[in-house]
Amino acid sequence: MNNNNLRNIILENIVTLFRKFMVIYSIYLLLRGHNNPGGGFIAGIIASTGFIFFAIIHGTKALQNIIKIQPQKFIAIGLSFVLIAAFLPVISSKEVLTGLWIHTKIPVLGELHLGTPLIFDTGVFLVVIGVILTIVISIMEVLKWN
Amino acid sequence: MSEYLPLLIGLLFLSGILVPVLYPIFKQRLGWVLSLAPLTIFILVLISLGDIGTQTIKLLPSDFSLLPGIDFAFRMDGLSAIFGLLITGIGFLVVLYASWYMKKYNRQAHFFSYLMFFMAAMTGLVFSDNLMGLFIFWELTSVTSFLLIGFDHHLEKSRQAALQSLLITGFGGLCLLFAAILIGQIAGTYQISEIIASGIDFTAHPQYQLIFILLLVAVLTKSAQFPFHFWLPGAMQAPTPVSAYLHSATMVNAGIYLLLRMHPVLSGTILWKYSLILAGVITMFLGAWFSMGQKDLKRILAFTTISALGTMVLLIGVGTPLSMEATLVFFIVHGLYKGGLFMVAGIIDKSTGTRDITVLSKLWKSLPATTIFGVLALISMAGLPPMLGFVGKELVYVAKIQLPGLSWIILPLGVGANIMMVAISLTVFVEVFYTRSKKTTIPIHYTEKKLPWYFILGPGVLALAGLLLGLFPAGLNQVISNALFVTKNHVVDVHLLLWHGFNEVLLLSIFAIFLGVMVFIYRKPVTQFIKKTIKWFDIYHLPTIFMNVMNQYLKIAGKNTQRIQHGYHRYYLITFFMVTLGITAFQINWNFSDLVPFGGFTTIRINIVILLMVSALAVLFAVFSMSRLSAILAMGVVGYGIGLLYLLYGAIDLAITQFLAETVIMVLFVMVIYYLPKFAKLSNKKSRVRDIIISLAVGAGVTIVVLHSRALNNHEPISNFFAENSFIKAHGKNIVNVILVDFRALDTLGEITVLTLAAIGVYSLFRFTVKKENK
Repeated sequence: MNNNNLRNIILENIVTLFRKFMVIYSIYLLLRGHNNPGGGFIAGIIASTGFIFFAIIHGTKALQNIIKIQPQKFIAIGLSFVLIAAFLPVISSKEVLTGLWIHTKIPVLGELHLGTPLIFDTGVFLVVIGVILTIVISIMEVLKWN
Repeated sequence: MSEYLPLLIGLLFLSGILVPVLYPIFKQRLGWVLSLAPLTIFILVLISLGDIGTQTIKLLPSDFSLLPGIDFAFRMDGLSAIFGLLITGIGFLVVLYASWYMKKYNRQAHFFSYLMFFMAAMTGLVFSDNLMGLFIFWELTSVTSFLLIGFDHHLEKSRQAALQSLLITGFGGLCLLFAAILIGQIAGTYQISEIIASGIDFTAHPQYQLIFILLLVAVLTKSAQFPFHFWLPGAMQAPTPVSAYLHSATMVNAGIYLLLRMHPVLSGTILWKYSLILAGVITMFLGAWFSMGQKDLKRILAFTTISALGTMVLLIGVGTPLSMEATLVFFIVHGLYKGGLFMVAGIIDKSTGTRDITVLSKLWKSLPATTIFGVLALISMAGLPPMLGFVGKELVYVAKIQLPGLSWIILPLGVGANIMMVAISLTVFVEVFYTRSKKTTIPIHYTEKKLPWYFILGPGVLALAGLLLGLFPAGLNQVISNALFVTKNHVVDVHLLLWHGFNEVLLLSIFAIFLGVMVFIYRKPVTQFIKKTIKWFDIYHLPTIFMNVMNQYLKIAGKNTQRIQHGYHRYYLITFFMVTLGITAFQINWNFSDLVPFGGFTTIRINIVILLMVSALAVLFAVFSMSRLSAILAMGVVGYGIGLLYLLYGAIDLAITQFLAETVIMVLFVMVIYYLPKFAKLSNKKSRVRDIIISLAVGAGVTIVVLHSRALNNHEPISNFFAENSFIKAHGKNIVNVILVDFRALDTLGEITVLTLAAIGVYSLFRFTVKKENK
C-alpha cells in the first residue's frame, strides 16, 4: 500500500512468507504430479495464488520486481517448453507428442523415470502462471489497485 | 540428372527463405548470388533434355506426402521442360537485372525474397506431377505475385492493383481446387501421370461440364482472358523486373500451361473447343486493339501480352497437332520478346525517368545497345523474319487456316491483331528509338556507358536467343515433339523452318505487314479512333465495376457483422444457450424410461444430500440477492460445493483444481467489484420472465443430457484403457495427470493455447483503454 500510515508489517511479512511457501509447494506438486495428486495445472494455480496475494498487499510493482520478467514472457517460455516436449520425439523418428523416457536407478531415491511429459507439465505450469498473472496485473494496474 | 530436380526446386524455396540472412553479407551483390539458383535449374533442365528424347516422360515420385495422395511428385517431359527453361532462364536474367534496378529501393531483401518464392512456386507448378501439388504451387504464385505487384505499398494504386489481381486469381485458384478434387474423385488419384494413364474418359462423365467450367474459370482468371483481362494492365504497377517476369514466362502463362497439361484429359469436346476459341479470339483482338491507344510503354506491352495470351488460348482451343505446335512455339517466341521488351522499357525508364512514348525520342544516340536489342524484340513481336517470331506467326496462320467452319471469323481477327502488332512495333520504334524524328531530344540521366553490363544483359540475351532460334529453329524440334507427345498422346514429327517458300500463309503475312505499315502511317487518326472506342468501353470500365462490387460486398459484410456482433453480452449468452439447447433437443432421445441406470440407483449418501442442499440454497440466494458481492459469494459457495463433490467421489485432482480456480475467480471478482456500477434492476418484468424460462430450460436440458450420458455405454469406456496403461506405458500412477500430459497431450496443448489467447485478449483490452485514458 502506498499510504505508509496504514502499513501492516505483520500482514506484509506473512504474505511474503506465504508467497515463498506457495512457490516451493507448487514446485513440489509439479514434480510429484505424475504419480500423486498434483501436476502442472494445479501447481500453476497454487503458485499464482501466492503471487496474487503478494501483489494485493505489496502492489504490482513489487511483484514485478520479484518475478523479474514480464508475466507474458512466462507464457512464451511455457509454450516453448511444451513445443520442445512435443517435438523432441520427432528427432528420434517417433510421432509428435510421444513420451520419451529415461530410466535410472539412484541409490537413495530408488527408481527414477524422467521423461518428456515432465517438460510438458513444466510448460503447462509456466503458462498457467503467466496467464493468471497477466490478467491479474492488467486488472490491478488499470484499476489502480495499489 | 533430372533426379536432382525436386532438390533444386527446394533450393529455390530455401534461397527465398535465406534472403534475410544473405542480404547483410552480400548487400548489393545479393542478386548475383541468388541468380545462381535459377541458373542451376536451367542448366539441369537443358542437360536432361538429352535424356528425355522425343517420347520419354521421366517421373520423379516423392517419398514425402502432405496427406495420402497429395504429395510433391515431379515429372520431366517436353512440356515441363519448355516452360521450366523459360521460367528459370528469364528468372536468372531478371534477378540480375533487378539487382541493379532495385538498387535504390528500401526493402531490397523483401523484394528478392518474394521474387525467389515466386520463381520457386512457378517452377514447382510446371514440374509438378500431382494435381494437388500443382494447385498449391498455383496458389503460391497468386500470393507471391500479390506481394510483388503491391511492392510499392505506399501507393494507393499499387495496393489496389495487387488486391485486384489477388482477388481475381485467388478466385480462379479456388475453382481449380474444386476441379482438381472432382478429377481426383473420378480418377481415384491425384497423380497426373496416373490420371492420364488410367484412360478414363472424362469427357463422357456426367460431371464433365462442371469440371471444365471450373478449370476454364481458373485459366481465364490466371491468364488474363476476357472478361478477367483487366487485372493484368493494373499489375504493371509492380517494379519493372516483376512485370518483365510476370508477363514473359510466369504467372499469366500458368493458365496456358494448365490447359496444355489437362489437354489429354479434358479436351476434344465441343464445349472445350468453342469456349476456348471464343475467349481467345475476343481477348486476342481486344488486347491488340487497346494497346494501340496507350501512351505508357509498359501499358502498351501489357495489352500486347493480353493479345498474345488470347492467341495461345485460341490455338489450344483449335486443338490440332499443328495448332498445339504453334502454341508452344508462340509461347517461346512471346516469352523471349516480351521479357526483353519489358526490360528495355525498364532501362528507358531508368535512364530518362519516363515511359511516355509521346515524350521519349531519339534514344538510339544514348542507348545504342538497348536500341538494337529492343528493335530485335520488336521485329519478333511484329512477326517479321529472321526472328523466331516469324516462325511462330507462320505456324499460327497455318493453324488458323486449318480450322474448318470457324476460320472465316478467326482468320480476319487474327490478321487484324497481327496488323495491330506490326503497327505498334513500328510506332514504338519510331517514337522511341528513331533519330530523325521532329521531337525534341529528351534529357538522359544515365547514358548506356554508366549502366552496368548486367543491366543490359537481359534484353540482349533474349533478343539474341530469338534471333538464333529464328535462324536455326530446328533446335527446338526435339523438345517440342516431346511436348506434343505429352499433350496429344501420340507421336508428332516436328520440323520447324524459317522459310516455307511462297504459299498462302506468306501472302497473308505480307498482307498483314502491308496493312500494319498503313496503320502506322495513318497512326494519328487511328489512335484517335481507338481512343474513342476505349472511352466508349470505359462506360463498362471493368476495374471500377469490380471494385464497386467488392466495396458493396464489404459493406454488406460489415452490416451483417454489426448485426451478429452487437456487443451485448446477455444476447450472446441467450443465443449460445438457445442454439445449444435447440440442437441437443433435436438430437436427444426423448424416451425417459432408459434414464434409470441398469443396476438401479446406488444408496443415497447423507453427506452428499447435505452438500447439494447447501449448493441449491446458495443458488437461490444468488438469484434473489440484491447485492452483487453477496451474489458472487453465493456462487462461490456453489463452486466449492462442486469441488467437495469431486472430493467425496475420490477425484482429488479435479477437486484441487476446482477449489483453486474458484479461489482465483473469487479474488478477481472482489478486485473489480468496487468499480462496477451499483446493483440495479435494469431489466423489466418481461425480460426477467424470458430469462427465467431460458435458464430453467437450459438447466433441464443439461440434466437430461447428463442422465442420458450415464445410460449410454455403447462402447467400452476409454477410462479402462487409461487405467490399465497409465503405469505400464506412461510410467505414471496419477491417471488424471497422465491423461493430461501424455495420452491427451494434444488437447492440453490446445487448452493452454486458448488460455494464452484469453490472456492476450485481456491484456490488450486493458492496455488499450489505459492508453486512451492517458491521452
